[in-house]
Amino acid sequence: MRLSLTSRLSVISALLPALMVMLVVYIGATSWTAWMSLTNSRMLPNNNFVGFRQYELLLTNDRWLTSVHNVIIYGVLFVSLALLIGFLLAVAIDQRVRAEDTIRSIYLYPYAMSFVVTGLVWQWLLNPTLGIQHVLRSWGFAGATFDWIVRPETAIYCLVIAGVWQASGLVMAIMLAGLRGVDDEIWKAARVDGLPKWRVYISIVIPMMGASFATAAVLLSTAVVRLYDLSVSMTNGGPGIASEVPAKFVMDHLFERANIGLATAAATTMLITVIAVVAPYLYWRARKGEVR
Amino acid sequence: MKRILFAAVAVATTALASLPANAQEMKAEVIHWWTSGGEAAAVKVFADQFTKAGGTWIDSAVAGAANARNAAITRTVSGNPPTAMQLNTGKQFDELVEGDLLADIDAIATEGNWKGVMPAAIIAAATRKGKMYAVPINIHGQNWLWYNKAVLASVGADEPKTWNDALAILDKLKAEGKVIPLAFSGQKNWEQNLFNAVMIGVGGAQMWTGILGKRDVALAQSAEFKAVAVTYKKLKDYVDAGAPGRNWNDATNMVIQGKAGMQIMGDWAKGEFVAAGKVPEKDYGCTVLSNGSGGYVMGGDVFVFPKAKDPATTKAQMTLARLMLTPETQIQFALRKGSIPVRNDVDTSALDACAQKGMRYVADKAQQMPSGDMLAPPALIGALQDAISQYWNTSMSADEFSAKVAAVLKSAE
Amino acid sequence: MSATALSSGRPRRISPARWGLYAFILITALYFLLPLYVMIVTSLKPMAEIRQGNLLALPASPSLAAWVKAWTSACTGLTCEGIRIGFFNSLRILVPSVVISILVGSLTGYALSLWRVRGANILFGAMMVVAFIPYQVFIYPLVRVFSFTGLGQSLATIVTIHTIFGLPTMTLLFRNYFTSLPVELFKAARIDGAGFYQIYARIMMPMATPMIVVAVILQTTGIWNDFILGLVFAGRDNLPMTVQLNNIVNSTQGERAYNVDMAATLLTALLPLVVYFGSGRWFVRGIAAGAVKG
Repeated sequence: MRLSLTSRLSVISALLPALMVMLVVYIGATSWTAWMSLTNSRMLPNNNFVGFRQYELLLTNDRWLTSVHNVIIYGVLFVSLALLIGFLLAVAIDQRVRAEDTIRSIYLYPYAMSFVVTGLVWQWLLNPTLGIQHVLRSWGFAGATFDWIVRPETAIYCLVIAGVWQASGLVMAIMLAGLRGVDDEIWKAARVDGLPKWRVYISIVIPMMGASFATAAVLLSTAVVRLYDLSVSMTNGGPGIASEVPAKFVMDHLFERANIGLATAAATTMLITVIAVVAPYLYWRARKGEVR
Repeated sequence: MKRILFAAVAVATTALASLPANAQEMKAEVIHWWTSGGEAAAVKVFADQFTKAGGTWIDSAVAGAANARNAAITRTVSGNPPTAMQLNTGKQFDELVEGDLLADIDAIATEGNWKGVMPAAIIAAATRKGKMYAVPINIHGQNWLWYNKAVLASVGADEPKTWNDALAILDKLKAEGKVIPLAFSGQKNWEQNLFNAVMIGVGGAQMWTGILGKRDVALAQSAEFKAVAVTYKKLKDYVDAGAPGRNWNDATNMVIQGKAGMQIMGDWAKGEFVAAGKVPEKDYGCTVLSNGSGGYVMGGDVFVFPKAKDPATTKAQMTLARLMLTPETQIQFALRKGSIPVRNDVDTSALDACAQKGMRYVADKAQQMPSGDMLAPPALIGALQDAISQYWNTSMSADEFSAKVAAVLKSAE
Repeated sequence: MSATALSSGRPRRISPARWGLYAFILITALYFLLPLYVMIVTSLKPMAEIRQGNLLALPASPSLAAWVKAWTSACTGLTCEGIRIGFFNSLRILVPSVVISILVGSLTGYALSLWRVRGANILFGAMMVVAFIPYQVFIYPLVRVFSFTGLGQSLATIVTIHTIFGLPTMTLLFRNYFTSLPVELFKAARIDGAGFYQIYARIMMPMATPMIVVAVILQTTGIWNDFILGLVFAGRDNLPMTVQLNNIVNSTQGERAYNVDMAATLLTALLPLVVYFGSGRWFVRGIAAGAVKG
C-alpha cells in the first residue's frame, strides 16, 4: 500500500517522540555505559582505557556467575508459572463466578505494592522459625519442614514464589482481556458440536490468544532481566551469594562498591545477551509479518 | 538499606530549585541518611545549633547510606553540590579529594585543636595530603558483644573477655538447649561484621591491619588466618535455622527477649535495647572480645564539604564544621545516636554505661583500631564480603577460603 | 452491550466442576491474601507484641496508632509529618504521566502496527531491547544530560521521564493489540478516506479499551511505586510519597518499627488499590467494547 505525503508526515510525526527517545536517551546512555566498561572507573567515571580487563574479572567472579545461573532458573520458572497460573485464574474468572470484581482485585492487588516491604513479609512467611513452618509445627504437624529460604540450594525458588505471587494478577488481566475478546459464536458453535469446555480452551481459544500470551511473556521477561527489588528485600542475595541476580550485581557495584568499571561491564554483558536473544526473535516475527 | 540505589542522583537535583537567591544568607543543604527515630533526633542537634548560629538548615534526608552517598557524589561531580554531605569515616572520599572537589577544613581543625582531642586513627582517616578534609562527628564501635545477663547467669557464666570465653559460654548454652546461643542476622554485611569481630578478637591488631591495610597475601595464606576462619565457621553451630536473611534488629530482639544469649553488633544495637526499655549492665551487658592486642574497631561518620564558589556557602560550611565539634553538640548528638563522642575531653557522665565503656576503650591507644572502611576502598571491602559470605553459607573449607581471600587481595592492585 | 449479554453464550452448569472451580479460586485467593493478612495484623500490633514473633496471630488489642503515626507523624529526616506530605505530589505526577505515556505509547504502537513504515521493525526491535534493561543504568548519564541542557527538575521533567521509560512497554502492549485486530477494519477506513489520526482517534482507540485498562494498571503501579526517578527528576517541591516511605522503612541504623512500616506501605499502596477495585466496572465495559469487534 503506497502512502500519500500527508499520511507519511502523520506517521513520522507520530513516531517522532519514540525516535527522539531512542537516539538521545537510549543510544547515548548505552554507549556511555559500554565505554565505561572499558575503563578502570571506580567511584567516579574516568577515561583510563584498560581494554577488556573488567570483562576478564567479571568472568572469573563467582558472584556474577551465580547471578547468571540464578536468573536463568528464575526466568524459566517464573515466566512459565506466572503464565500458567495467570491463564488459569483468567479462565476461572471467565466462568461467570460470583463476586467477580472482588476476586479479580484479590488476584491483582499484589501488583500494586512495591517489594520494598512485601519482600520483608515474604521473608518472614518463608522463614522456618517465624513463618509457615513455625505455624504448621505449632498446630501439631511436628515434622513440617519448609525452609527453602535459608538453604543456599533452594533460596532462588523462594524468589519465584514471591515473584509469581506479584505478577500472576497482571497476566490474569491481560488474559482476561484476550478471553473476553473471543467471539461468542465460537462458544455457541462448540456447544452445538458437543465439544467439552476444556477441549475448546485447548484447541480453539489458546491458539487464538497468541497476542495475549506474547504480550504477557514479554512483560514477564523484562521483569526477569530487571529482577532487583525482590532479591534485595527478600534475601539480599543470600544465603551467601545463593540468590544474587545480575541487576543487583550491577547496582551494588555501581554504587555501594564504587566500582563503575566492573558494574558497567556487567551491564554491557546483560545488554548484549538481551540483543542476542531478542534480535532473532524479532527477525522471525518480522518474517512472519511479511507473510501476512 | 541499599535498596534503591540511585537516590544518589536524586538529591542531586532536588537542591537546585531551592538554592538561595540571596547570597548573604547562610544556608546549608545537608545530605545525610539519618531518617528515622533516634537517627533523626540526632541530626536535629546539628540543625538546631546551626539555626542558633543564624543559619538556615535545609534537610535532604535519603534513607540508605548508599542512596544518600551517591546522591551527594553525583551532584558534586555534576557541579551542583550540597553544602555538606555525610560519609562513613574512611576511604569513601579519596577520589573526591583527588578530583579537587572538596574544601579543606584544616584551619578550623587547627583552631579547635582537633588533633589534641581525637584518636589518631580518626584524624588519619579524615586527613589527605596533610590536610583535614572531613569532620569526624562520632565513633561507632563495630564489634561489640551484647548479651542477656539473665541468660548468661542461668548457665553460671560471667562476661566473656576473649573469644575462648565466649565459645565456652556458647557451648554451655547449646548443651542446656533452652535458648539459641548466638543471635545472628544472616545478611552479607553482618556476616562480614562477625568475621571482622573474630579476626580482630582472635588474630589481633597485626592480623587486622595486615589483611585490610597492607593486603598481605602471604598472611591470608597463613595458619593464623586459617585459625581465624575456623573459629568463625564454628560459630555457625550456635546459630538458629532462621538466621539467614534476618534483619540485625530482629536478632537484637532475640537477645532482649531472652530467646538468645548474645549477639555481635555495632553499638547502634543499643537503640533497640533502649526502645524495649532495658537497662545496660542490669538487663543486658556489653563488651568487646579481644586477645589483648588491640580490640575496639572504630567506625563512624564524617561530614565533608564540597568546594563552593559562593563565599556565603563557604562561611556556612566552616560554621557547620566548627559547631559540629563543640563539646556540647558532641555529647547531645552521641546521646541520641547511640554512638560515642569523637572528642575525649567532653563530660561523659550523661552517657549510659556501655557508651562510657566505649569511651574507655577509645581512650586506650592500644585498643583503637581503624574500621575496614578506613583501611580499604569499598570495592575491596565488597569483594571480601562476597568471599566471607560464601564461606559462611557453603561447605567451603578454611583452606579454600584462605586461597580465595588471598586472590581477592592480589586482584585489588 | 452489557456484560451479562456478552457472556450469555457461554455454557453454564452447576456441577462438581463448579465446586472444583470455587475450590481453585479459594485456594489461590488464600495464597494471594496471606501476605496482605500479615501486613494488616502487623500494622495493628504494638511493637512489644511483634517482637514475640507470632506472625499469624491476631493482635491482642488492635490499635490504629501505627496507622496514625505513619500518616501524620512518622519522621522522614527532620520533618516528622508522616507520609501524607507526599501524597498529593504523587498524585500530581501520576495523572499527567499516565495519560501522556499511554497516549504516546498507543500512538507509537498504532503507527508501528498498521502502517507500513520503513525501519519500523528496527525501531520496534530497539525499543524491545531497551525494555529489558534495568532503567537504573540510565540514570547516571541522564542526570548529566539534563544538567547539560539546563532542564531543571520539575513536574514537566518527571512526566517526560515517566513517558520515556513507559514508552517501550506501552508501545509493545498497543502494537500487539492492534496487530490482533481484524485488518479489514483498518482497510475499510482507509478506503473511506480516513487519515492517520482520524483512524487512530475514531476507530482504534475506542476499540482498545481493554488494553487501555491494562495499560492504566501497569502505568499507575509503576509510576506510583517509583522512587528513584521521582527523587532525581521531580525536584524538591514535587517529591513523591515513596521517598517518604523509603525514609521510614529503610533507616540505616535506627530502630525499626515494623507496625509503622506496614501501615505506611499499605497507605502508600492505597491509591493503586482503589484504582484496581474501581476499574472493575471499566474493566467489564472495556471488555464489552472489545467484544464488539468480532
